[in-house]
Amino acid sequence: MVAETLAPLTAEGLSIVPAVHDTKMRLTMSGTVEMRDPGEMLNPFWSRIDMEARNRSLQSVEVDLQDLSFMNSSGILTLVRWITKLKASAAYRLVIRYDRNVTWQRSSIPTLAKLAPNVVVPQEING
Amino acid sequence: MSDYVEMRFGPRWTYISCVRKFVASFFMIGLADKERAEQISMAASELLENAVKYASEEEGYLKISIEKQNNEVDVCVKNHAEAQQINTLRREFALIHAGEPESVYLKKMEEAAMTEGQSRLGLIRILFEAGARLRLDVNDSEVSIHAIFPLENA
Repeated sequence: MVAETLAPLTAEGLSIVPAVHDTKMRLTMSGTVEMRDPGEMLNPFWSRIDMEARNRSLQSVEVDLQDLSFMNSSGILTLVRWITKLKASAAYRLVIRYDRNVTWQRSSIPTLAKLAPNVVVPQEING
Repeated sequence: MSDYVEMRFGPRWTYISCVRKFVASFFMIGLADKERAEQISMAASELLENAVKYASEEEGYLKISIEKQNNEVDVCVKNHAEAQQINTLRREFALIHAGEPESVYLKKMEEAAMTEGQSRLGLIRILFEAGARLRLDVNDSEVSIHAIFPLENA
């Protein structure tokens, strides 16, 4: 059964669908993040995911970006906030799957991972 | 050979996505280089986002011009801004040029995560991720920010 806290997020051209399998959660993102203040929507969503992962003692949360065609710098900041929180209190691995054929993903994600190399794992696909 | 595109419009957020997609398509055709086209369109989008956020309300338009000439593409976004915003922008330019781009980017990310409000990551993202040169021109209250991309096979 899907818990309420794992309800998908759909708004302003963005969709995020969470799914839990055993000790792993996968978040499939699609569309774009280019709203004026993505933090309004994404910061509380990432916080709920973080809390859920901790409560369920998950080993990893995987964010799949391959169908996300663009993310603005304010959207990137929401991921930075999540990573910073996880770095301060590591409880699971954050795996970010990105498509090397999408320019912003190939340039942004490996840099983001450098913020917390012990907990963030960039995973390149289509290599 | 030179290509030139110019658009002028009111500072409405909803236009930014459509300009980004247009710029990406235009340079995908003009340069036949998907990566460069996506870097240029990302820069255009980030500069327009800044212009919409920080433009003076009294002069209600902004302008984007893109010129391909002399083995480079110059993306320029112009808008009017208050003196306080212009000073903030000058400080921001000094800061992002004060070190190795990746280190500056990571440091700014860490700082931004600890504060509320705007990300202020757009300019350093253009510099580091897109590999563009940035230039700031100020003429009274008119601000122009250029993101200049070298072209290898122009």
